[in-house]
Amino acid sequence: MSDQQIIDSAEPAAVEEAFVIEARALTKKFGEIDAVRGIDLTIPKGRCIGLLGPNGAGKTTTMRMIMGLTRPTSGSVTVLGEEASRLPRSTRARIGLVPQDNNLDPDLSVRQNLEVFGRYYGLLPAEINERVPQLLDFMQLSQRAKSPVMGLSGGMQRRLILARAVIGNPDLIILDEPTTGLDPQARVMIWRQLLVLKNQAKTLLLTTHYMDEAERLCDDIVLIDNGRILDQGTPRELIRRHVKPQVIEIRKPLPRHLPLSQTEDLGDSVLLFVDDAEAVIRGMPAETSFQHRPANLEDVFLRLTGRQLREN
Amino acid sequence: MEALLNRYTFAVWQRNALTWRRLMWSSLASNVANPLIFLFAFGFGLGSVIDTMQGVTYLAFIVPGMMAYSAMFAATFETTISAYARFKMQKTWDAMLSSPLTLAELLTGELLWAACKGMISCSCVLLVGALWGGVPSLLGGVLALPVLFLAALCFAACGLAATAHASSWEFFSYVFTFWVTPMFMFSGVFFEVARFPEFIQILSWVLPMTHLIEVIRPLATGGPLALTAVLGHILLLVVLTALAFTLAHHRLRRRMFD
Repeated sequence: MSDQQIIDSAEPAAVEEAFVIEARALTKKFGEIDAVRGIDLTIPKGRCIGLLGPNGAGKTTTMRMIMGLTRPTSGSVTVLGEEASRLPRSTRARIGLVPQDNNLDPDLSVRQNLEVFGRYYGLLPAEINERVPQLLDFMQLSQRAKSPVMGLSGGMQRRLILARAVIGNPDLIILDEPTTGLDPQARVMIWRQLLVLKNQAKTLLLTTHYMDEAERLCDDIVLIDNGRILDQGTPRELIRRHVKPQVIEIRKPLPRHLPLSQTEDLGDSVLLFVDDAEAVIRGMPAETSFQHRPANLEDVFLRLTGRQLREN
Repeated sequence: MEALLNRYTFAVWQRNALTWRRLMWSSLASNVANPLIFLFAFGFGLGSVIDTMQGVTYLAFIVPGMMAYSAMFAATFETTISAYARFKMQKTWDAMLSSPLTLAELLTGELLWAACKGMISCSCVLLVGALWGGVPSLLGGVLALPVLFLAALCFAACGLAATAHASSWEFFSYVFTFWVTPMFMFSGVFFEVARFPEFIQILSWVLPMTHLIEVIRPLATGGPLALTAVLGHILLLVVLTALAFTLAHHRLRRRMFD
C-alpha cells in the first residue's frame, strides 16, 4: 500500500473553512509571567506553518491554546471554525498532536499504543485493524509492532508518535519540535513523511529549532519571541526583509576598508552581510581567510531574536 | 452532565485493563496470597482466643471485613499511586487529553477500572474465605459483590480527589496514614465498631468503609439486615462518590488546562 492511499482513504471534511486557525489578540499569563502577549495568526488550509522562536518564546503555549489544552487569559482562537476552548468532539477528532515530550504509553507495545489511541479517536475495531498496520508501514515500524515502547530508539519513538497523531486521519496536525534530538537519518525520514502528509492538503503547524527544517518544510514562518510575533512570511521574504542576500564570514583580524554596514561579531570571526559578495571579495587581500554563502533563515532568526543565550 | 458511560470511557478502561493483563498472574497471585496470610494469622491467632463475634465464628466475622478492606485498598491504590504515575511521571493523561477524550471521560474510565481492580481483589478474598469455610451464606457473599463494586467506586473517587491535589509522591503518605489505615483499624474489619469508645465510634461512622462493612457482613454471615439501614449506607456511598468525583474533576481541570 502506498503512502498516498493511506491518507486518501479519509472522507473529506464536511465544512470547508477559509482558515484552519484564526487567533486574535491571544494572551496567556501563568501567574505573573506573560507567556503570550498578544498573538494574531491566521493559517489557511493546506499550508505548513513554522512557529520559530527561542526557548520560552511562547511557542508551546500558543500551540496548546490552539488545541484547547490551555485556556487563554484573553483573546480568541478558532480552530476549524470552532472556538478552541470549547471544541466539540467531531472537531477534536480532526486534530492530531505530536507533543514535545515522548509521552508514549510505556506499559504498552508499539501496536497497542496505536490501537488504544484509535479508540480514543472513536474508531471502530474494524477501522483500527485496517489502519494500524498501514500506519506502522507508513512509519516503517512494522517489524517492531510487538516491541515494548521503551526498547525503541529516539527516532522510532518519534515516528510512532507521529503515527499516533494521524491515527484519526486529522485535517490539522500540530507538531511541537518533531525532530529534536534525532540523528540526521531519522530527521530525513520524518521530513519525508511530513511532506507526504502536506501533499494530502493537511494543514501542518510546527515548531522547530532547526532552521534548515523550517526552510525545507514550511510555506510560511512565524517568528516569535517574548510572547509576540516579530515577523512572518515565506523564508525568502524574511531573508530579503531582514538581511542582505550574501554572507561572507571573515576570520579576524579583519582587513581594512570593508563595507561594515551590516555585521555580526562571532568572536574569532565576523559575518558580513552584503549585496554584492564578488565585489567585496575582490577588494580583500589575498591572504584573508573567509567563507562565502547565501544568507539563510538562521541569519534572520539570530538578527531578530539576538544572540544572547536563553536559559530556560 | 454529559453521558459518562460511553465507548470513550470504555476505551480508557480498556487501556488500563491491557496493561494489567501483562502482569495478570503475578497480580492475581498476590490478590490470593494476601487474604490467605491475613486469614491464617488472624484466624489462628485471634481466632484461638475469640470464640464468636456477633454470633458467628471469628473466621466468618473477618472474611467480609477482609473483602471490604481488599476492595478499598486496591481501588485506592489504583487511583492514587498508579494514577499519579500516569498523570505526572508517564504523562499518559496528557497524551490522552490531546485526543478527543474529555477529562470527565478519562476520570470515569480510571474510576471504573479501579473499581474493577477492587472487585478482582475482593472476589479472591471471597473465594479463599469460602474454601476455608468462612462464608456461612455463600449466596449472601455473592450478593455483597455489587455493594462492594459501588463502594470501590467511592474509594476510587476519593483516591482520585487526593491525586488531583497531590504535588509529589510524599502526599500519598498522608492518604495512607490518615485515610487507609484508619479504615483498616476503625471500620470494623477485625472488631465490632461498637466495642470502641464513643468518640472513636464517631470517627468510624465518618469513614465510608464502616458503612460498607455494615451492609456486607450480615450478607456474608447470614445475619439480619434492615432494608432502610442498607439504603441509608448505600446512599451515603453514592453521595460521597459524586462529591469526590466532582472535586477531582474540578481540581484537575484547573491543574491541566490553566
